[in-house]
Amino acid sequence: MELILKIAWRNIKRHKGKSFIIGVILFLGALLMTLGNGVISGMDKGIESNIINGFMGDIAIISEKEKTDSILMKMYGESIETIPNYKEIKAILLKENYIESFIPVGKNMVMVLSEDDGDPWYMYILGVDFKEYKKMFKGNIYAIEGRLLKDDEPGILVPAFMRNELYTRMNIWMIPENSKLVEDNLSDDARPYKDELSLKTNAVFMGARNDSSTSDIRLAVKGIIKYRALNTFWGHFPITDIESYRNCMGYFSASELAVSISKDTQKLLDAEAENLDAMFGRDSLIVSDTGSSDIGSIDFKKKELTTKTGLDLESGIYNCVFVKLKDSSRLERSVNMLNAKFKQAGMGIRAVTWKKASGFIGSMAVLIKGALFVFVMILFFVAIIIIVNTLTMAALERTTEIGMMRAVGARKSFIGGMFLGETVILSGIFGGLGFILGIIIVNIIPLLQITTSNDLLQLLYGGDTFKPFLSFFDMLFVIIQLALVTIITVLYPVKVANSITPLDAIARE
Amino acid sequence: MDIIDIKGLVKNYPLGETTVHALRGVDLTIQEGEFMSIVGPSGSGKTTLLNIIGCIDFATEGSVKVHETEITALTDREVTDLRLHKIGFIFQTFNLIPVLDVIENVEFPLLLMKNQSKGEIRKRADKLIDEVGLSEYAEHRPAELSGGQRQRVAIARALVTNPDIVLADEPTANLDSVTGAQILELMKKMNEIEKTTFIFSTHDEHVLKYAQKIVKIKDGRIER
Ligand SMILES: Nc1ncnc2c1ncn2[C@@H]1O[C@H](COP(=O)(O)OP(=O)(O)O)[C@@H](O)[C@H]1O
Ligand SMILES: [Mg+2]
Repeated sequence: MELILKIAWRNIKRHKGKSFIIGVILFLGALLMTLGNGVISGMDKGIESNIINGFMGDIAIISEKEKTDSILMKMYGESIETIPNYKEIKAILLKENYIESFIPVGKNMVMVLSEDDGDPWYMYILGVDFKEYKKMFKGNIYAIEGRLLKDDEPGILVPAFMRNELYTRMNIWMIPENSKLVEDNLSDDARPYKDELSLKTNAVFMGARNDSSTSDIRLAVKGIIKYRALNTFWGHFPITDIESYRNCMGYFSASELAVSISKDTQKLLDAEAENLDAMFGRDSLIVSDTGSSDIGSIDFKKKELTTKTGLDLESGIYNCVFVKLKDSSRLERSVNMLNAKFKQAGMGIRAVTWKKASGFIGSMAVLIKGALFVFVMILFFVAIIIIVNTLTMAALERTTEIGMMRAVGARKSFIGGMFLGETVILSGIFGGLGFILGIIIVNIIPLLQITTSNDLLQLLYGGDTFKPFLSFFDMLFVIIQLALVTIITVLYPVKVANSITPLDAIARE
Repeated sequence: MDIIDIKGLVKNYPLGETTVHALRGVDLTIQEGEFMSIVGPSGSGKTTLLNIIGCIDFATEGSVKVHETEITALTDREVTDLRLHKIGFIFQTFNLIPVLDVIENVEFPLLLMKNQSKGEIRKRADKLIDEVGLSEYAEHRPAELSGGQRQRVAIARALVTNPDIVLADEPTANLDSVTGAQILELMKKMNEIEKTTFIFSTHDEHVLKYAQKIVKIKDGRIER
């Protein structure tokens, strides 16, 4: 062994040119592989933290009736089942000490209706109690035009991404109420037509549910927003207040429920006239301007909604609850614990991980990961071919030397070991250097705070900041890859070297 | 005692459509401790014969026994070990491992054998290097040595394992006559010191005076 390594090491020094070529290739290979893995892991982690902290938390609670777990971007615009018993869910969630925060949301598809005989366009929509939403997802969105929603204010926030989409599909350009066109924010498609754009400060939305009991509702655009990162994903999700959302989807809204309760109360208290007056007074306070005399037939159609306060929003209908955990690493365990609780309580709901809920986005990440992996593999394939070629040449050039060693009594395994030794030493030194440099670079890059607003780069970064990252397992993975490459490259040259017989040493003379 | 016993040895090389009959039925016995020369013109089959005795090449027909062991029926591993333990080789050129210095080259077979301590190996190698007169060059690489010095190293290495036979195929062919004579004298001396059987081939009639026993070969047959 010592002898093999001694000879291998001296042969490396003797054939400096070849060793250098192989070394440089191994160095670059290891470097790129380390960087590639770092970028992939960083992207993975970035997307994870983006989904969790910027969009949906760790867990989504959905109806048991929901066929698929991946509710975030459901294909074909299927509607999402409702969870009508939010208050019960809340009671359970509040008792679980591993939960940091949670928010009920409405999430479905709506149609944006065209007001000039054009085709409608579909989009996802998120209905939230914006006050709570702001608390849970601090700073995940910002307005590039207009402003964010005020508490309990009806209206819609349209992501810039979706505005561009609506322009291409419906030829309308949305701007916030009481604002002017901001030319800098025009999409490339829209810019040439900036003087003839059909500007809209509101639009009529209609819930796209499988059953058709939806209503259309006019919502004012309060702001054009951007998510802090990954607008290619989240840009699909405009945000509206939960009451407008419910109205739009044809769900019972909190104000409707409030009205029906007050109607019951009203019957009970009918006899007492002074109380009746007081009751109406409260009614008009709760359902401030829905046309108080015509309570039974509230009609929201194409009616601008105004801010209502004091409503018990949580009594209305939602589609799911987003839950953030104190410790994201205990995801599976937390989901299992929640599901056990839900089952026990027979609540007809289930908890799913963000991984499952974000199905499509997760697979996007897998896709990019796969592409990067293929790139690294192709690189390595080329590297392997060059190294195999160089080593095989080296074996053939040393035929006499090898034949003589065999004649003197060296076994095949000795010759094979010699070549393996050379390659292992080279990959140890050069590959090792590449690996270490890669680790250094991966660790330096996050310190540079490289940020981007470019959507494609954000996909690669897994967020707005380039944060490649290598876990212990990633590093182990790189080392295993490097070892594998070393062994693969040496197989064929060793086979060639092993086929050299002592006779080959002599036949030349 | 016969150390080598060859009977009816035939070696054919297929060469395209035809066959080259390199050895056409060789019978030969060699005694332990002999210093024997195989003489013949170029192409007569000397190298072929030595290769087969040295288990580097294989017989087409016939039997070759080294120390009563039939070598024509051994596996590659067995043949390799036989070469390592029982036979020493001195080739015409390119005898040495370029990246090892003189002492390391001489130690090489012993290191492959793995049955002695480093100290013992070093001692044995030192002794042989001393006997071939290269003590001063122990740490030189082959490239730094003259042709004659390299052959001395080869002799030392061939003998270091205490083999039964040392085979030398035209060991002086690439040397000038003076150096060649010195090498043959050294071989003769080592034959006497180490009591090792030497078989060497030559096409040079001048070197015959060193031989104790001469076998003449022509067209693949031993001439009596
Ligand atoms: N590998 C081979 N293939 C074909 N013919 C060979 C081969 N090796 C040797 N020969 C032929 O066998 C004969 C004997 O060769 P060789 O033993 O090398 O003779 P010598 O060593 O006496 O010069 C020659 O005719 C040579 O051409
Ligand atoms: Mg010859």
